[in-house]
Amino acid sequence: MTGKDSVHGLADEHVELREEYASWLAAFLPVDYYGQRYADYRWDLGLRRAHQEASYEAGWLQPTWTADHGGRELGPSEAMAVRLEAAVRSAPKLPNIAGPNVAAPGIREYGTREQVERLLVPALRGNEWWALGMSEPEAGSDFASLRTRATRRGDSYVVNGQKTWTTQAHLSRWAMLYVRTDADVPKHKGLSCLLLDLQSPGVTIRPIQMATTSDETFCEVFLEDVQIPLDALLGQEGDGWKIAMSSLEHERDMIWIMNWVEAERGLQHVRRHGERLSEDLLTELGQRLADAEALRATGYRGLTSTMAGRRSPESQILKLLGSESLQQTWELAAAAAGSSAGSDSELAFERHDALAATLYGGTSEVQRNIIGERVLGLPKA
Amino acid sequence: MKVGLNDSQLELRANVRAVLAAECPSSVTRQAYTDDELWLPLWKTVVDLGWTALALADETSGLGAVELAVVLEECGAATLPVPLLSSVGHAAGALRQVGADDLLEELSEGAVGTLLASPPGSRSAGPVLTWSGGRLTGTAQDVPEAARADLFVCLANDDDGALHIAAFRAGAGVLVDKDESLDPSRPLGRMRVDVLPEFCLPTALPTVLAAPLVASASELVGVAARALALSVEHAKTRHQFGQPIGAFQGVKHRLADAYVRLERARSLNYLAAAKLAEGRPVDAVTWRAALLAKAAASEAASECTRSGVAVHGAMGQTWEHDMHLLLRRAWQGSATLGETRALYASAARSYVEDLAKDESP
Repeated sequence: MTGKDSVHGLADEHVELREEYASWLAAFLPVDYYGQRYADYRWDLGLRRAHQEASYEAGWLQPTWTADHGGRELGPSEAMAVRLEAAVRSAPKLPNIAGPNVAAPGIREYGTREQVERLLVPALRGNEWWALGMSEPEAGSDFASLRTRATRRGDSYVVNGQKTWTTQAHLSRWAMLYVRTDADVPKHKGLSCLLLDLQSPGVTIRPIQMATTSDETFCEVFLEDVQIPLDALLGQEGDGWKIAMSSLEHERDMIWIMNWVEAERGLQHVRRHGERLSEDLLTELGQRLADAEALRATGYRGLTSTMAGRRSPESQILKLLGSESLQQTWELAAAAAGSSAGSDSELAFERHDALAATLYGGTSEVQRNIIGERVLGLPKA
Repeated sequence: MKVGLNDSQLELRANVRAVLAAECPSSVTRQAYTDDELWLPLWKTVVDLGWTALALADETSGLGAVELAVVLEECGAATLPVPLLSSVGHAAGALRQVGADDLLEELSEGAVGTLLASPPGSRSAGPVLTWSGGRLTGTAQDVPEAARADLFVCLANDDDGALHIAAFRAGAGVLVDKDESLDPSRPLGRMRVDVLPEFCLPTALPTVLAAPLVASASELVGVAARALALSVEHAKTRHQFGQPIGAFQGVKHRLADAYVRLERARSLNYLAAAKLAEGRPVDAVTWRAALLAKAAASEAASECTRSGVAVHGAMGQTWEHDMHLLLRRAWQGSATLGETRALYASAARSYVEDLAKDESP
C-alpha cells in the first residue's frame, strides 16, 4: 500500500490543499498503517469511527459545506482533489456510508431547521447511524412501486409495510423511510420520505445472514402501526421521488470514487505479480488500467462541465463503467493468483464485495436504460 | 487537472464541424475512393483555413495539443479524405519532441508529411529503416499517404540497434509504390529508401510516439462518435414489432455499452492531450496515457462501427450506407502505430515496471 501518486500523475492542481490534507491524515493514522498491518486496520471499526469523527472536526468530511455544517467551503474541484487524495492514501472507510453521504445531504437540502439541528451533526460524526428504507420485497429496481403505506392520524403518520435489503438497519438509529402517502396519484407522485426513529414501537429489524464476511449487513425491517410524528416528514408530501433521485445522484458521485479506489487496490494487487504476468494478463491489466484512468478523467470532465454551467451527459457512464470494471479487476487478480485463488479468503472477500457494486445505487441494467433513454434519447419500451 | 473542453475549444469544434458539413459530406469520401485527385482542392481548403498550423501545437497560439485533438476528432467523424492526420498528427507529432523547427514550419504551411513507424506485420510501432554509414536505407510497407507526402519522418535503428528518428524528403532515393488500402480515402504505400536524411538523432520510443498515438486516438474517437450517432438515429426511427427498435433492451443496452466505450476513449484522449499540452518531456505517465488513449479509441471505433452494422441490419453492409466508410477508417486506424491489445499490454508493462520506483520511499 503506497501513499504515492506518481503512478497516475494525479491532480497537479490544489497542491497545497492536498498536502494539507495528506499531512492531517498522516498525523491521524497509526504509524504502521501502510505496512503489514493494513489488512487488520482495514477492518478496525474503532479506527474507522475515530477517523470519521476527526474528519468531521477538521472539515474534511463534507468539505464543500459551510463551516457551521462542518465544512470548509471548498469548490467542487478542490473537494474532488481531496476525495481522490483520500482514496490514493487509503483513508479508513466510513463505517456507515448512508449517514454522512446520503442522509446528511438530504436533510441539509430538504430538512426543516429543527431537523437539521437535531440530526445533521450526529449523522456526520457517526454517533447516530442511518439506514435507507427503500427496497421492498416487491419493489427493487422498480422503486416507485413500493407499497409501505403512511396514513395521517392526528399528529402522526401511521405506517405499515416492510422494507428489505436495508443495509445496517440493525446498527442504525434512524432510517430515511420511503412510503406511499397518496395511493390515488401515479406511482412516483404519491411517495414521501419520513425520518424514522428505528427505536419506535412497531419496528422489527431482522438481520439477514450474508453469503460472506461483510460489515454492511442487509436487514429486513417490518413496520406495524408505527407512529411517526408529522414533523418527521422530510420536504413536502409527494417529494419522495425527488428526494430519492437527488440522494442517488449524490451517492453516484461517491460511488464512482469508491469503485475507483477499490479497483486501484485490485490493480496494485495484480501489479505485484510483476514479471510473472503473462502477455494475456498484461493485456487485460492494460484494459483495466484504462478503465481506472478513464473513470478519473471522466470525473474531471464532468467537473469541468458542471463548473462552466454545462450539462455533462458523459458523467452517466461513471457508475456503470466503475462497477463493471471493479468486478473485472478482481477477476483478473484471481486469474493472476492461479490456484491460490481457491484458498485466498482476502481475495474472495474482494470478489464478493465487488459483486455488490453492480447492484447498489442502481443496477447495471438500470444504468444502461438511463444511458439509453436519457443520454442517447432512445424510446422507452 | 483540467480535462475536457473550455468555451473556446467548444467554439473551435463547432466551427470545424460546420466547415466539414459543408465541404465534406459522406459523398465526398465515397468519391475519393475512386478519384485520386479529389483530395487536392480539399487539402487547399484545409491549409487556407489554417488547420495545418496545428502541426506546431503551439500552446501560446491557442492551437495546442487539445485543439489538435478536437480538430482531428471532427475530421475522423467526417472521414475527411486528406492527409491531415499523417501530417500534423503523425509526422509533426514525432518532430515536435526533437525540435525540428524548420520542418515543422513546412508542415504547418501545408507540406504533406507522414511517419514510417510500423514494421511490416508487427503488432507494435518501432524502427523501420536502418541508419548506417551516414545513409538511411531499407523498405517500408503500409505507409499512410506515402504517394502524397513531401516529407517523411521515420524511426530507424543504427548498427548497434539504437533507436533513431530521421527525416527525409520525397525525390531521389525514395521509391513509392501504391499498395492496397482498406480505406481508399487513406491510401497506403510501399517504399524503398536509400537517402541522406535531413537529420538523424538518437531517441526513445515514448518521446517520438506519444503525440502521434494521441493524434490517431483523436481521429478514432471521431469515427466512433459518428458511427454511434448514426446507430442511435436509426434505432429511434426504424420500427419492428410495432415499436422503434431502440425501445428493445437488446438494442438499447448494446448502444449504451457502445456509448460507454466512446466516452471512456474520449476521456482518455482528453487526458492524454492535456498531458501533452503541459509541454514537458514525455515521462512514463504521459506515455501510458498516450498508449491507453490509442488503445481505447481503437476499441471504441471498432465497437461503435461493429454495433453500427448490427443495428442497421442488412443496410449496414451496403455500399450506399455510410457505415462502411467509418468501419474502414476504424479498422485501418486500429492497425496503425500498434494494434489495440499490444498497446494495452505495453501500458501494463510500463505500469508494472514503475512499481519499484513508486514503492521506494
